[in-house]
Amino acid sequence: MLCRIADLTVEIPSDGSLAPRCKDYMLDTDQKPDIIIDDSLYPYEKFPQYSKEAVEYTHSGLQFYRELLDIGGMMLHSSAVEYNGYAYLFSGPSGMGKSTHTGLWCRTFKGARVINDDKPALRKIDGVWYAYGTPWSGKSFLNVNTKVKVAGICFLERGDENRIRKLSKREALVNIIAQTTRKKLTEIRMDAMLSCVGKLLEDIPFFEMECLPDTDAVYTAYKAMCPNSKEKNDEN
Amino acid sequence: MKINENFVLRQIADTWVVLPLGDTTLDFNGMMTLNETGSFLWSILEKGCQQAELVNALLNEYDVTKEQAETDVEEFLNKLRNIDCLEEL
Repeated sequence: MLCRIADLTVEIPSDGSLAPRCKDYMLDTDQKPDIIIDDSLYPYEKFPQYSKEAVEYTHSGLQFYRELLDIGGMMLHSSAVEYNGYAYLFSGPSGMGKSTHTGLWCRTFKGARVINDDKPALRKIDGVWYAYGTPWSGKSFLNVNTKVKVAGICFLERGDENRIRKLSKREALVNIIAQTTRKKLTEIRMDAMLSCVGKLLEDIPFFEMECLPDTDAVYTAYKAMCPNSKEKNDEN
Repeated sequence: MKINENFVLRQIADTWVVLPLGDTTLDFNGMMTLNETGSFLWSILEKGCQQAELVNALLNEYDVTKEQAETDVEEFLNKLRNIDCLEEL
């Protein structure tokens, strides 16, 4: 079946566990696909310890990710929340409270919604970086078929108070590389990924926040990351 | 000795980073950053050389004592050994 994901036409195997995840992305017109997810390449036998669904999820995601690199985009391990026309991405190792934090945004701000809870796609279109919801959103199934301008990317750490700071490009680089899938990338795709990261570092502000799982953490992040300074003043 | 060809050195945002390629990412999915001296030594090691050549290269390129150059090279090589990035022939 044909889907439209991250402004790309993607052919998804109609059998298997990926198709139901892609319902909101389905196309009803016939188009030439930019990306074909090939289920004959799913390595079930190599991962007998994982369920069929897990292998299909991971390897369809990897196929999409590798093709996305070829056209200048990437996926970042993060939870992306949309609010007031901007996407705020929260990244970091598993267990740092990414989903908890973006869940708090949704409860704090009317109209805020999580567009992808695990691996949003990032693409620069006509000079603007967009975060896209994709069907690859982890266990939560939280994703929206939409594209939203990126406000900033913040790496989360657990702390005993809420404290945010802007990162230098070098600091941001180390963090972003750690949260980007590089499994079995060829040299060409590794360079595509690094080139994409290089552009992100030039264009997008990066932050690091120590935080508690509370509403104050949401305001702390929003005030620092909101690109619209007038809104910032209104909040203060 | 020589750099293991499953690793590459790249410069992004004014930072030198060493990254693994292909299956090597399964053993080492991290990254290592290098300073200017490190990237200079890397460029020589990529072609393959002896430890003494690295020390001489540092002495020619930088204003350091022989002892300092030897220590620096040893530290650098150990950093590479830690991530299995060095092939000792």
